[in-house]
Amino acid sequence: MAPPWLDVLDETIGACVTHRRPDLEARLREKRAQQLDPKLRVLVVGESKQGKSQLVNALLNAPVCAVGDDITTTVPTFVQHADTPSAALVRNSSVGGSIFHTPTERIAVPIDQVTKQAAAQHVVRAEIGIPRALLDSGLVLIDTPGVGDTRSAHTASTFAALMQADAVLLVSDATGELTSAEMTLLKKVMEACPNVTVVVTKIDLVPSWRHVVERNRALLARAGIRAKLIPVSSALRLRAAKTGDQRLNAESGFPELVTCVQSDIVASAELLARRAVAVVASSAITQLVTPLREELTAHDSSRTVATISTLQEAQRRVDELRRRSARWQNVLNDEMADLISDVEYDLRDRTRKILREVDKTYDEADPAIGWDKFEQWLEDNLNEAATTNFAWLMERAEWVAAKVARNFPVYREDLIPGSVLPDDLLEPASKLEKPKIEPFSVPQKLFTGLRGSYGGVLMFGLVTSLAGMPLINVISLGAGALFGGKSILDESDQRLKRRQAAAKAAAQRHVDDFFMKFSKDVRDSGRHIQRSLRNHFSTLAEELQETLLESARSAKRAVQDDQTERERRMREGRKELDKLVLLYKRVQALGGPAMELTA
Amino acid sequence: MTLDRVVWSMLQEALGVYRDSPRATAWLRSHAERYTEPVRIAVAGRSRIGKSTVVNALVGDEFTPQNSFVWYRGGTEQRAHVFNGPGRPHEVGIGRRGSRNHVETGQFDRSDRIVVDWPARTLRDVVLIDTPSEATPEQVLGDADALLYLMRHVQDEDLKFLQSANDHPIARTAAVHTVAVLARADEIGAGRIDALSSAKQIARRYRRDPAVQPLCQNVVSVAGLLAVAAKTLREDEFAALRVLSSLGREELEDHLLSADRFAGEQFPLTMEPAVRQALLERFGIFGVRLITALIRQGFDSQVKLTGQLVQRSGLGELRDSIAVHFVERREVLKARSALLALDVLFRMEPRQNARKLMADLERVVASAHDFRELRLVAALQSGRTKLPAELQTEALRLVGAEGVAPLARLGFEYEADARELREALLDALVRWQALAADVHATHAHRKAAQIVVRTCEGLLPQFS
Repeated sequence: MAPPWLDVLDETIGACVTHRRPDLEARLREKRAQQLDPKLRVLVVGESKQGKSQLVNALLNAPVCAVGDDITTTVPTFVQHADTPSAALVRNSSVGGSIFHTPTERIAVPIDQVTKQAAAQHVVRAEIGIPRALLDSGLVLIDTPGVGDTRSAHTASTFAALMQADAVLLVSDATGELTSAEMTLLKKVMEACPNVTVVVTKIDLVPSWRHVVERNRALLARAGIRAKLIPVSSALRLRAAKTGDQRLNAESGFPELVTCVQSDIVASAELLARRAVAVVASSAITQLVTPLREELTAHDSSRTVATISTLQEAQRRVDELRRRSARWQNVLNDEMADLISDVEYDLRDRTRKILREVDKTYDEADPAIGWDKFEQWLEDNLNEAATTNFAWLMERAEWVAAKVARNFPVYREDLIPGSVLPDDLLEPASKLEKPKIEPFSVPQKLFTGLRGSYGGVLMFGLVTSLAGMPLINVISLGAGALFGGKSILDESDQRLKRRQAAAKAAAQRHVDDFFMKFSKDVRDSGRHIQRSLRNHFSTLAEELQETLLESARSAKRAVQDDQTERERRMREGRKELDKLVLLYKRVQALGGPAMELTA
Repeated sequence: MTLDRVVWSMLQEALGVYRDSPRATAWLRSHAERYTEPVRIAVAGRSRIGKSTVVNALVGDEFTPQNSFVWYRGGTEQRAHVFNGPGRPHEVGIGRRGSRNHVETGQFDRSDRIVVDWPARTLRDVVLIDTPSEATPEQVLGDADALLYLMRHVQDEDLKFLQSANDHPIARTAAVHTVAVLARADEIGAGRIDALSSAKQIARRYRRDPAVQPLCQNVVSVAGLLAVAAKTLREDEFAALRVLSSLGREELEDHLLSADRFAGEQFPLTMEPAVRQALLERFGIFGVRLITALIRQGFDSQVKLTGQLVQRSGLGELRDSIAVHFVERREVLKARSALLALDVLFRMEPRQNARKLMADLERVVASAHDFRELRLVAALQSGRTKLPAELQTEALRLVGAEGVAPLARLGFEYEADARELREALLDALVRWQALAADVHATHAHRKAAQIVVRTCEGLLPQFS
């Protein structure tokens, strides 16, 4: 039949699972496994050099644990029953692992070598088997390294062993009363294992040991610790064993300790188990109850207030959004109108400057020479003007986006759109037409020259014929040549003027075309930007509005639902709490310390 | 200028700078006064560790323990004063309680400190301060130049105390003021007859322990009760112990098994239980065992026995330690206390015109050769600086780890004459100069060698 404490423990484990506390569950399971183990572990703890190892030796009347004047015990030593004396060291096989949950290996060693080899690295504990009646019932004595030693690894292994203890013998020597450090240790031990017996050793050395024992009793009483206190002398006991002196044995105080171990610890293993389970289980339940109770109190008061204020907040924010969305739309419209007119003006200004430059150039130069170069120059200038103008447009557009964003009701990371650039932009304008350039060829020049010279020859021929000269003479011919030359010059000058006018007209036309086309593009871009910004922001605004409306709706729902829901949850919580309190009472009935816990 | 002269002039200068502040003036005056006094040694440790016992052993007289700071000063006549609050001290009488002296403080329910003037040889060079166990490190070290820290085995709490005692920038650069004592050495060995030698071994181990070594100059073991017994053994007690040792060894051992047995009714000798009880209280069970064994071994006169007890109890070693580490280093310890006091003052009342003094303080702490020597000792002992083994020993000796007298520094065990000393010194100087200039040596080695050379140079004028 399962012992009664097992049911209670299992139920507590169940409660831990329900309340999702795997940490508590693991701790309880460890305790459960340990309690089901028939071995009874009695841990001997205390500060260093109080005579712990000697106490174990004296209890068993055998030198199983090494004793010495300096720090000797470095790892916990487990002494248990065995038919023949044997010893083993348990070592961490993985180097540098922690004390817990690492694979270990057992190495058998000769019994007199144990302590010497235990000082080696990575030894976790030593195990010694010895045939003794005291150990027969499954009792395991665990000798531990001193607590508070400067090498903290020792202390850590002692506390690790403490978790598995069924009972604890706390050793303090009679040369002084319990120090504050020892009282702290005692309290710490009580938390993990309530079955503590304080053993005062070395009473053979101290004349006033009775006084020390009295003081210790008073100290324990003052601290509210119910622990038995037994004064002993290991030296006397060992000597009595050697000489077989019964009286000396009685003087050593050990008979009382052995009885205490046998009757209080071994015989009452069941009671011990119950008590230990009670302590662990009640501490677990207390931990479960605390958050539950807090939750219940929270339900009562603060929750309703919180939901209502959430609702109010949500409604307020919806109003705010509506009010402010008009504002950002106005800002967008105004800013975009300004932007487009500014950009257009800028463009016109730039093209006019270019045209003026063209005029100045072709007042002097001949378009027949280096037209290609001019064409290139014009193209470059126009391009530059367009680029600058467009860059400005983009800059302004981004600025507008930022301004609109500032006027947007809430701030968000993605508020400013990544790009306002329309996709289809800047098709090249028409090519610059080359103006018609009339070449002034040699036959034309000849003809023009002849035509001019004709008048000269005739004019002067007639004059000179009056003087009786033939019509064609030297003078008339000379004049004809002069007149011809002049008419060629005049003609070529006129042609140049015409060419310049044509070039200017061509440039003018081209720039006009360019301006027409590009200003259209800019306007389109502007409108495009405006549209995309509007879309962007209105989508955001809609999203936001939806979110706010939703939260407002849920808050409203919460306020409505809260009443019923809360009552249901309260009922459930109370039921859980009642269950836990009931469980706690059963745990208490096992014999744990009395603690206050009410629903 | 030597360190103590420099620090003394700094104190005087500070008095000038702070002459308008009564608090600062009082503080500086008290420290200037203290500067010329013997070294103040505080005896501290956990409760019931045997602080008063060790103080009694050192003074050579027994006093009843008091629950406050008790100062023992040298004086021509026996007097005691109680200091309570800011007022004038009250003189109180010293009576006897049993074999002990008792300072009659009955009328004062509390007192800041009790000062006992006592004619004793030890107190010529030192002032001993017995501290209550609940005193904090600050309280203990506030008035003391040096510290004797008592413990059984080195435990975390003890290390914490010692660490906080060193927890000040100036204290760290000159960690020279602590000797750790394994008190109750008799109990360490569970009262066996060889307990004291094993206690000595443990002390030796702690001396090399890297956790303990940087915190104190030395670790010695002392059996307090035995030490007191050595100094205060009375005629009647000696007679009783002789009677005891006349008993058969086996038989006596049987009755010395436990304190109860020794004081019990069934005792083979006709000796009053009260007498035995008194012996137990005075010497402990271990003391009775050891003394009877010693008497049996032939130390059967009181003089012989006392000599043995002083040596065996570790009292001799403790006295030597105090002499080497505290009395001989009085000037350094006093300078250190004064520098600490100046530092406190500059922190509490910083002043524009104290700037120069603050800079001086920093310079002295960083550069005084005495402190450099001590830092080298600490570095060598803790293994921060490593020299080859034989050089390490010599360096430690020369910079004064074993005593600052020229003889001790040069490693003479007899009184050598000046010529011999001078030769040894010049030899050391030349060798260390070579090491300091050795391009193959590491920087740390050369640094260490430079300090040793400077020490040797400092010694030279004494022999020329």
